[in-house]
Amino acid sequence: MTCSTQIDIEVVQALLTALQEDNQEQAVELLDNLTQLRESELYQRLSGLTNNLHDTLDELVDNQLLLQTKHDIPDVAERLEYVLSSTEEGCAKTLASTEKAMDLSESIGELIQGSLNDEKQKLIQDLLSELNTELTNILLAQSFQDLTGQVLNRVALTISSLEQSLIQLISESRHDYDAIPDRTESEQKSAEMKGIGPNVTQKSKQDSIDSQSDVDDLLGELGI
Amino acid sequence: MQMNRDMNILVVDDFSTMRRIVKNLLKELGFHKFDEADDGATAWPMVQTGKYDFIVSDWNMPDMTGLDLLKHVRADANLQNTPFLLITAEAKRSQILEAAQAGVDGYIVKPFTAATLNAKIHKIFERVAERENAK
Repeated sequence: MTCSTQIDIEVVQALLTALQEDNQEQAVELLDNLTQLRESELYQRLSGLTNNLHDTLDELVDNQLLLQTKHDIPDVAERLEYVLSSTEEGCAKTLASTEKAMDLSESIGELIQGSLNDEKQKLIQDLLSELNTELTNILLAQSFQDLTGQVLNRVALTISSLEQSLIQLISESRHDYDAIPDRTESEQKSAEMKGIGPNVTQKSKQDSIDSQSDVDDLLGELGI
Repeated sequence: MQMNRDMNILVVDDFSTMRRIVKNLLKELGFHKFDEADDGATAWPMVQTGKYDFIVSDWNMPDMTGLDLLKHVRADANLQNTPFLLITAEAKRSQILEAAQAGVDGYIVKPFTAATLNAKIHKIFERVAERENAK
């Protein structure tokens, strides 16, 4: 792309003269003119880039980028949500069970008070103390959820902003986002046979079995 | 082949956490001889040694899926009767039908409970015993 706007040396010299003469008003005016010139050049360059982009995306109507933007990015975002909520849920269960185990250990300690000889009592108290240390380690280990959660939240934000940028890019290249086709059935089938992981998105829940008893019913029909 | 607590079990899953969970549950059920593999591709040469009486495998693994491992086992004359249990998050109707067609003996969807695992193992070995008696 050639640039039609050029900086005139006379304008620069006039600016220099205005500055040397301390004529601020004229200097500002000349500088504004120069800046406008540069801005319009920048605009032309950007518009050229956009045209290139239009052409490139137009040539690649079946481009993976279009399919990925419409199908994969929302899918990834939904899966990330699942990771966040299921790790949180898992941690909450672990914490609840650990706390319960700590209470049980305390109850055992109280129960044996005075009911055993000193040697046995000390032995059991030592074991309970070790048990409590391990249980505390389990509690502390759950703090990973806080850290991974913060990281995942950031990743989710980035994905969402990337998605918006790509949608904008697609619309600026005169493509109809809504007209981007679905994944083909054979693509879907091939992915399923490789394994697609848990069905955590609204879309992947279609045709999936909800519970072990439904799986058992289905296999039962087949004599397994 | 009766259910024997001394049998050799191969646990295949790419997530070590899951292998530990499965092994611990199997231990609670009285089993104690395990080997582990982190992928179908690692498991297959181990299975070919003929050492294993029972295979418990995940489906979704990077190099060779559990479904392909099952197909390999069923296609091998020496191994084809090895009981095979899939424990997997894959829960599409089409996937379960495909596993059934490939000859899976049991199918557990994750997350699962110790009771489910116990029930499936018993069912698998009851059926294996019936098959043996029918011969």
